[in-house]
Amino acid sequence: MSSSMLIDKNSPYCPGCGHQSITLGLAKALELLNYDPLDVIVASDIGCCGLIDPMLACHTIHGLHGRACALAAGISIAIDNPKKKVIAIQGDGGATIGIAHLLEAARRNFNLTLIVNNNQIYGMTGGQFSGLSNETFQNDHGLVDAARPFDIVEIAHKAGANYSSRIIAKGDIAEKLKAALSTKGFSLIEILEVCPSYGIQKYSDIEQLGYLEKSFVNAFNPFTLQATSQKPFVTREHSSEAAQFKHKLEKNIKIILAGSAGEGIQSAAELFAKAAMYSGLHVTKKGDYPITVGTGFSVSELIFSPEEIYYTGINEPDIVLVISQNGFDYVKNRIGEKTSIVVDNAVRHDQTNIALSYDLKAIFGKKNAAICSIGLWILMNEPFPFAAFERAVKESKHGEKLSVVLDKTQTIFDELKLHA
Amino acid sequence: MTANYTLIDGSKLIVESLVQSGVESFVSYPITPANWINQYASQRFPTMAFAPDEITVAQWIAGLSSAGKLSATATSFPGLALMVESLNMSFMMELPMIIVVVQRLGPSTGSATVGAQGDLLLLNSLISGGYNIPVFSISNITDCWKVTEKAVHAAVELRTPVVLLTSKEMVMTSRSIDLALLPELKKAQYDYYKDSKPYVPYAANDKLVPPFLPLTSNEHQVRINSSTHDDSGTIKKATKAALGNTIRLHNKIQRRMNEFLIYEHDEDKDKNILIVSYDITGESTREAVKQLRNSGLNVSALYLKTIIPFPKELMTIINAYENVIYAEENLTGLLVKMIYGNNPPNNVSKVNRIGAMISPLEIIKETERCLQAC
Repeated sequence: MSSSMLIDKNSPYCPGCGHQSITLGLAKALELLNYDPLDVIVASDIGCCGLIDPMLACHTIHGLHGRACALAAGISIAIDNPKKKVIAIQGDGGATIGIAHLLEAARRNFNLTLIVNNNQIYGMTGGQFSGLSNETFQNDHGLVDAARPFDIVEIAHKAGANYSSRIIAKGDIAEKLKAALSTKGFSLIEILEVCPSYGIQKYSDIEQLGYLEKSFVNAFNPFTLQATSQKPFVTREHSSEAAQFKHKLEKNIKIILAGSAGEGIQSAAELFAKAAMYSGLHVTKKGDYPITVGTGFSVSELIFSPEEIYYTGINEPDIVLVISQNGFDYVKNRIGEKTSIVVDNAVRHDQTNIALSYDLKAIFGKKNAAICSIGLWILMNEPFPFAAFERAVKESKHGEKLSVVLDKTQTIFDELKLHA
Repeated sequence: MTANYTLIDGSKLIVESLVQSGVESFVSYPITPANWINQYASQRFPTMAFAPDEITVAQWIAGLSSAGKLSATATSFPGLALMVESLNMSFMMELPMIIVVVQRLGPSTGSATVGAQGDLLLLNSLISGGYNIPVFSISNITDCWKVTEKAVHAAVELRTPVVLLTSKEMVMTSRSIDLALLPELKKAQYDYYKDSKPYVPYAANDKLVPPFLPLTSNEHQVRINSSTHDDSGTIKKATKAALGNTIRLHNKIQRRMNEFLIYEHDEDKDKNILIVSYDITGESTREAVKQLRNSGLNVSALYLKTIIPFPKELMTIINAYENVIYAEENLTGLLVKMIYGNNPPNNVSKVNRIGAMISPLEIIKETERCLQAC
């Protein structure tokens, strides 16, 4: 046998250890498949099986207990080259603690082969049982773990692995490994062996535990990267929106827009912020809503300022625009003596400093009430021209529809002025 | 001058800066308040992967990085906690990567949508044995751009995982900024091994960092190792050469982080009071300093950006002041503990709170109290 895959035949393993025959079998299988050593990457766990590195002529990466499959997955995601072969080596203990990683590798059919050296026990730590230990297996202390083991081969198959097999580490296993190594997508091969230090007193042969060789195939698509738009968020062209309106603010104003989920609060706040920006103001905006975003209050906090804004918190707002009861209840404790309030008529409250109370939702519907309240507040106070808000609204996704809302807002404002 | 603003949040700037600074891949697992970063990343990065848990995230980014695709992720304390062993692995393997840590209120799951500055001491002691991975902190919106670049460069040039520390209020607040004022970013440059002689993976140059080759190299065998190893990259018990390699990991960070030192020292004319802050409290401090100066008081401020290992140069600045106020959004003053241990000197005072950003008023009050006391 040629030995281009092996640079050191000195085995680190105990005499009679199955890991040695697996190492030799793996090297031979890769040679039979004509792999250049520099096209092969072996990721290994700590533990006895991970002592394989120094023997191999290929690239090696030696990681943590139980994570070699995940580490190999990361490598395989990076590599889009069918010439390259990624292999992970774990023991039965590593496959137990890292079982989620092999399920994920099977589900996505990452282009890699996972070899699980199952010698029934944790060898380095003294012969403890793993999740893959046979329920009749007795260790050198005479103990048995009666729980049934995971059938990792069937589990990998059910999870989508394009190839999974169980073999016995007996004789030349290179031919059997070739099928796994040639698979496109994820392949798992569980290799049964006996630990000469902690198992051999009771078993001369792993077949005494009743294991039979078997293999399964699937024909799922191997992993490929999903294309992303990769469109830059920041380019020089993004900065072409010059402020075309003039604001009248001499100091900052702090505004809270308070409504409920589904009332378009966050989008309305964005348009309000843009209108301020189009008027040359500095702006900060943040949303506040329950982690269950589809229900309860939805609040947006805005600061507009002629100067740069550092601190973005609002302790006591100057303005509160209230669309719903939820929103009011959430912000009412922050309303101060000087806070000016625009509120929907349907909201129950005990506030006296009301700048305007109106049938916002009854007239405009729950989706448009926020836009209307912002519009009315701008028209009443003129911090910047209403046209700035019209521009922001027109440019938005539902610009045409919302422009109608703004026209109606203007009409209402004119009527209010007449009545006043 | 005509204003020229774009409304943008910190998450978007961080993601864009990561890409423009040379990060090629991103692995995400959802967690509030890092979700916006994860969402933007899924559109922006050429290589994007979605992992089933944070241990997997940390392993996949290590795999990507070892294969030459510089990688990043974003998480918060619960996810960071799961990553700790894997980050130790990548530190030992000398794999560059960026972990954006968006702080939220703890302990434990705490409040996912409330910000905090609670993870500094954890990050300072993340590596078993007291080694440091570099930590950079974002103190305002433009830091999302500039400090991110610095973090990426440190990760690549020092071959180490780097943490970019921020918090909820920074990455989930939108601000008007003039994008044209953001500086052009430079892509981080790998020091690749170019010799024809066999590659000794952990043989470091005089810069204490081994030249890099990915696991995809067609010229040389590459060995990467998480266990104690000598420069060959194969596992060794605590031999002299192997321990020497481990000690080098400490030295490369401690000796070379001054190349990545960034901070802002906003110095007033006398050396009476210095307000020290980092991360989100930098914003409140800027406002407090502005107001204090408007009312005729002389105060200076120091905004920390290169924060772990704590730079000696900054201690020189701090020690020149008669009184130092540390403002940070946690209960006990983690930065103070990191710098002075459990017995800070008498000229140090603290502004702390949990559950909301420290307001400028709280810093102003403490400053006025200090001024009256001295």
